[in-house]
Amino acid sequence: MFKKVLIANRGEIAVRIIKACQEMGIRTVAVYSEVDKNAPHVQIADESINLGDPTPSESYLNIAKIIENATKVHAEAIHPGYGFLAENPDFAKACADTGITFIGPTPEVIRLMGDKIEAKKTIAHADVPVIPGYHGIQQDLSTLLKEGKKIGFPLLVKATAGGGGKGMRIVHAESELEQSIESAKREAKSAFGNDSVFLEQYIDRPRHLEFQILADQHGHVIHLFERECSIQRRHQKIIEETPSPMMTPQLRETMGNAAVAAAKAVGYTNAGTIEFMVDGKQNFYFMEMNTRLQVEHPITEATTGIDLVKWQLRIASGMELTLKQKELTQRGHALECRIYAEDPSNGFLPSIGTLEKVDLPNGPNIRNDTGVETNFHVSPYYDPMLAKLTVNTENREESINKMIWALSHYVVLGVTTNISFLRKVLDHPEFRKGNITTHFIEDYFHNWLVTKEGLPLDALIALAVYDALHTQRQEVVRYKEADPHSPWQHVGRWRMGV
Amino acid sequence: MFINYEHNNHIYNVTVERREDQFFITYDNNEYTVIATELKPGQLFIQLGDRVIKSVISQGDENKFVFIDGSIFKVKRIELTGRKKTEKREGDLHSPISGTIVSCKVKEGSPVKKDDIILIIEAMKMEYLIRAPYDGVIKKTYFKEKDQIEIGQLTAEIQKKEEKNGSH
Repeated sequence: MFKKVLIANRGEIAVRIIKACQEMGIRTVAVYSEVDKNAPHVQIADESINLGDPTPSESYLNIAKIIENATKVHAEAIHPGYGFLAENPDFAKACADTGITFIGPTPEVIRLMGDKIEAKKTIAHADVPVIPGYHGIQQDLSTLLKEGKKIGFPLLVKATAGGGGKGMRIVHAESELEQSIESAKREAKSAFGNDSVFLEQYIDRPRHLEFQILADQHGHVIHLFERECSIQRRHQKIIEETPSPMMTPQLRETMGNAAVAAAKAVGYTNAGTIEFMVDGKQNFYFMEMNTRLQVEHPITEATTGIDLVKWQLRIASGMELTLKQKELTQRGHALECRIYAEDPSNGFLPSIGTLEKVDLPNGPNIRNDTGVETNFHVSPYYDPMLAKLTVNTENREESINKMIWALSHYVVLGVTTNISFLRKVLDHPEFRKGNITTHFIEDYFHNWLVTKEGLPLDALIALAVYDALHTQRQEVVRYKEADPHSPWQHVGRWRMGV
Repeated sequence: MFINYEHNNHIYNVTVERREDQFFITYDNNEYTVIATELKPGQLFIQLGDRVIKSVISQGDENKFVFIDGSIFKVKRIELTGRKKTEKREGDLHSPISGTIVSCKVKEGSPVKKDDIILIIEAMKMEYLIRAPYDGVIKKTYFKEKDQIEIGQLTAEIQKKEEKNGSH
């Protein structure tokens, strides 16, 4: 096992990884940018390195700087967390070239899975269903039109280099196809400098299900069941759960086997996630593979009892996976909410500011993963996710109720958060029934306003009490000055004479 | 003391007097007597009759954040200059906020129906709508697009439509 690991990340995930390392007796090195110098991940690490400039490209994304520092402190391995450099094949390669173990798959696998088209082709060869589509290099209009008609409608035109919905069009009929391809290409060209697109069958209101994979360097691959991550806003997950309310034992076995087959097909090692889209008839299609630890990994840990980060470290150090697929079981139900500094009633725009008070809910089977604390400044440089809240209970209904309780005791003051919004989503009758799709937020919370009812009376009373408590002294002083015969005068003088 | 709180473009007028741990609060013509203690900085335990209000309040540079019953409200304490009467009431034609007129939907002499939009005021990237309180005819408008408006200023006057005889 490694003696020293550098964690090339920040926030809750850096804290999570540092704790796992420390429990295993591994010395930890945190890295931080100027604005994070007092952040929790720096405080709990055994050593820390200042990367300087908070701009990500100068700090958490700076491969040369991180490798140079890792060498300097003699770190044997680097854990990239998620985001930042976690899925950057050049970083994994730079680690390997310097003799540092990258805690994740090989650079080749990261590169292959990073190319969404190549990934689908490779996975399709392993007999894993992929969405019917055209991913060819022929980009002339007549080819695209011909291929589009072959796929049928509705279909999706998507920029190859795309992301965040840019260069993406849903085409409902053949008559719209030509115009949609051209406009998607124009948008892709200006957004990514590359106008190549692909076409895919469009699945209306799918569910997003994913399978957790663990693969060692000795050919053992297992899956740790599914996570349902359909509740998303702006194509980002906000609520995840396991097991999925739509899952059946048969489908779980079929999808789990497909996920293992996909991982084996690319020679995957370490922890990874196979993402699937599932339509209303339980047809599932491979979407992509995330070659890293996922944000939502705690719900898998809560229901399987397996520590994924510790297994990442063991696998990276060459140890064999001793977990057997047949012996794995899932117990109860787990739910995770992502706590964001953002305003759900204003397009989920990030909210920046100082956290004046942070007080987290506690109780049996409530897990807080957090990288912030009171007085932490939420800066505009990084992702606005502040923390994750995970609960696990015997069943889905109990988990929902426990989560609502925990959220209603979750105090984060100083920035606008999505906490009230999360509560409303969880309490929605369709969510409670398990009728969720990736369009859930758009369908039911399109123009949601957090405070349409205005300030409640109790808030006004609390405010008035607070202000009365905090302005009292001035009032007293004012009375004293106004009335020379006031008893306060005598009290004052008398005290001064003591 | 008189305090004005602004939340979501609405103004709330509150008065509070303190006698030791007792607080006398008036809001909207009701008086509430509560007993309160600050357990930790910002953490309040308030008894209102047989009911307990638990709240956490933080004081930022500009805003206060109030945590109550699982919800968080961003509130600003404001000093009202000039007119006192700015409390938001149904159909009030006074501006509840200082801002910019982004749109004026009516002209003098134009008829309006109850709830028609008269003006849209923008402040702090939020829009606030002034609506007609009743059916009538616009008698006077005081602002046009891009004008600045101050809190408490009258936006328009409406000649109320005469009730028809015998309509009960």
